[in-house]
Amino acid sequence: MLRMEVIYGLSLIMFVIGFFGILVRRNAIVMFLSIELMLNSVNILFVAISKASGALDGQVIALFVMAIAAGEAAIGMAIITSYYRKKGNVDIDRAQLLRW
Amino acid sequence: MEIIFYVLAALMILSACGVVFLKKPVHSALSLLFNMVLTAILYLAYLKAPFVAVVQVIVYMGAVVVFVLFVIMLVDLANGGFVEVIRVPRFFAAFVVAFVLLIQFLFLAGFIRGDIPIVSDYIHGDKLAELIFTKYALPFEVVSILIFSAVVGAVAMAKKKL
Repeated sequence: MLRMEVIYGLSLIMFVIGFFGILVRRNAIVMFLSIELMLNSVNILFVAISKASGALDGQVIALFVMAIAAGEAAIGMAIITSYYRKKGNVDIDRAQLLRW
Repeated sequence: MEIIFYVLAALMILSACGVVFLKKPVHSALSLLFNMVLTAILYLAYLKAPFVAVVQVIVYMGAVVVFVLFVIMLVDLANGGFVEVIRVPRFFAAFVVAFVLLIQFLFLAGFIRGDIPIVSDYIHGDKLAELIFTKYALPFEVVSILIFSAVVGAVAMAKKKL
């Protein structure tokens, strides 16, 4: 029988890969995809712990996380398109309107 | 059975690395799509959660990734004069921070041990619906308001002039 710790470890590794993507990439769209990756790995952890403990709350919270990820996708894509319309690219390093 | 799980896990980590390290955003989005498929398979086959797997396929793959692909189509990346080069100092700094985070996670997860009961039967939508509409009824309604306001806000932000 599969040990649940392996699934926890898989989820944690995917979370760290998404975090690394946030730190290292400059393209706003790819950073957004990394955020989705992190949310997805958290969902895996919720469902795995829900199965291990026998309580269903983890699955319900995973469904809420998916709903909020969909709303976040709408907002994020709107921000990216309006930013592109203003600047002509999606380079995060050049987003300095509010910096200094 | 266990071998298949390890193949699945290796493919998931590989596709997650693909999201981060592939050069073109379209390839990253397709790699994320692949990761979502594998996650749905993991939910269905190993975590016995078919309802969450179905919602994963509909919401993530049907809505979020398609949305991202539409925006990639609208945003002209080739014409923006923007070739992304991952600089070496940034790579090393990010690597150190991410590595420390991973070590902390593994340290924390080392305490999750003991007898883990195995619930063998599948958990279908009816049980989740009972929980959603009783214990989590208020968050459910709040999420509906949140998504509505998010869509209105997205339209307001994406318009050229308010």
